Amino acid sequence: MKKRKVKSSTKVRFTPLTAIMLVLLVLYTVFIIWLLVWALINSFKTQAEFRINISGLPKNWVWNYSFIYENFFIRVSSAEGEELIGMLELYGNSLLYSIGCAFVTTFFPCITAYACARFPFRFGKVIYTIVIVTMILPLVGTIPSELQIAKGLGLYDSIWGIWIMKCSFQGMYYLVFYNFFKNIPKDYTEAAKVDGASNLRILFKIMFPLVRNLFLTVMLIKFVEFWNEYQVALLYLPHHPTVGYGLFWLANRSENNGLNTVPMKLAASVMTLLPVLILFIFTHKKLMGNVSIGGIKG
Amino acid sequence: MKKRRFKIKKSTKKDLVFYMLLILIPVVNFCIFYIGVNFNSILLAFKDFDVLTNSFTWTTANFKTAFNLLTSDYTYLQTFGNSLVMWLCTWGIGTLLALFFSYFIFNKMRGSGFFRVMLFLPSIISAIALVLIYSFFMDRAVPDLLNKWFDWKIPGFIENENTRFGAIIFYNIIMGFGVNTLMYSNAMSGISPEVIEASRLDGAVGIKQFIHVVFPMVYPTFVTFTVIGVASIFTNQANLFSFFGGSAPTNVITFGYHFYNTTMQAGSNLVQYPLLASTGLCLTVIAVPLVFIVKWILEKVGPKT
Repeated sequence: MKKRKVKSSTKVRFTPLTAIMLVLLVLYTVFIIWLLVWALINSFKTQAEFRINISGLPKNWVWNYSFIYENFFIRVSSAEGEELIGMLELYGNSLLYSIGCAFVTTFFPCITAYACARFPFRFGKVIYTIVIVTMILPLVGTIPSELQIAKGLGLYDSIWGIWIMKCSFQGMYYLVFYNFFKNIPKDYTEAAKVDGASNLRILFKIMFPLVRNLFLTVMLIKFVEFWNEYQVALLYLPHHPTVGYGLFWLANRSENNGLNTVPMKLAASVMTLLPVLILFIFTHKKLMGNVSIGGIKG
Repeated sequence: MKKRRFKIKKSTKKDLVFYMLLILIPVVNFCIFYIGVNFNSILLAFKDFDVLTNSFTWTTANFKTAFNLLTSDYTYLQTFGNSLVMWLCTWGIGTLLALFFSYFIFNKMRGSGFFRVMLFLPSIISAIALVLIYSFFMDRAVPDLLNKWFDWKIPGFIENENTRFGAIIFYNIIMGFGVNTLMYSNAMSGISPEVIEASRLDGAVGIKQFIHVVFPMVYPTFVTFTVIGVASIFTNQANLFSFFGGSAPTNVITFGYHFYNTTMQAGSNLVQYPLLASTGLCLTVIAVPLVFIVKWILEKVGPKT
């Protein structure tokens, strides 16, 4: 007797709504790709060619990237005098800033969420409430106050100072870690305790391996966020500029006429976004993974 | 009657010590950089910085000045309006697009995997890089193409005073709704397939299915994003600092930009700080009840799941 294949009708009908959405999505995609490709093409032109040929391919391809790498400097004045900070140091500062901040903004919400989810003390509920309330409570105009406190505590203008300022449990990812740890069966820890494991051993040998993938995903998202961010560096790290800070400086304050052209600025933009784009190509599944946020109640 | 001594078990004591050690650093950080900062901000609002003596004196005049500025100064009123319009447009249009596109992705329509990546892409690119590219594109490439194709001679969209704010709103919508789309589609992926199948059998497809089945299931996520969006009305810079640095035209600035830019420009000069703090507090007094009212309304009118 022949087996009958049962086809489930999971194919979604193509309705007018989906047709409109498809058209809008195609237009959106074309716009984004066109933007990035246009920037890339024009980064290989001279200013003279850019003036007469804005949209076409370059007639004479020019490698502006090495000129930027060799000639771009940020002038930073300090008590010792003026310092010139080049591209290598900008990338170094960006790496230190991004990796350090990504780690602390992932690690501290993670361990706080673990403590609140796995231990029965009431203070955990207070922390949970604080996280929800601070996410929705709009406190406006606190930047001057924060700057004043950072300077007072000696955390201003140092990368490790920024790391210390970011050692908080607040933010959406606390909730993500909290839900994760809450869903781990108690059997894991009970069995380990029966075998004589201490709390520290349970944390390192059982919990961290379980949360490793989520931890790395969140840290990756945070790394991208901090790599791209420049305003904190501009305000709190005037003598440790990052790549984003450098690009802002080039766009708004650069004095060197050789760098102050549109193709140079587009080339610098491409140099800024390229590391993250490469990272995205290899890790896009993790970055776009199923990190979801539920609702706020109460 | 003898009093019963409450003894903590040794194991509970150990757990308590471990628990406190785990949360010590983040809680101390929260006390300093959230409670301390906001408390200091309130104190700052009651101070006046004397340039001659390089010290602060106590005063309530900052609130009077802030109130007068917020209610009668044209620039401040314009900034207030810009902040509201920016939020309304980005939330209104952005949320609508995010919901519909996430429904498209949820239904695994043709190309949804690719579109998912494209929607996420702007959120991983540096804002300053994207703004720079967008500015040159809208000011040079688009007018050039319109001139070549249709013989239209128009100024750049950001250079032109009449189209500047619209171009910035367009940027914020296009580059901002992608991550929300992914969040909504992740929330939709949690909907049971049986529910979807049952709704389909009942004849709910397309827009009917979206309104009556899918949207109610992701309503808590919608409430979360809306409430967080309302909370950020007066702190949202709308990427203005990336567009203009410290010299944004007054007809586009928002309060988020104003606070950051003024603090940047002030540098080590503390004269501006008290007025910024008092203005911030006045806006907080407006924003806090607004957030809770919006949350209450959304929970009241929302679907009961």
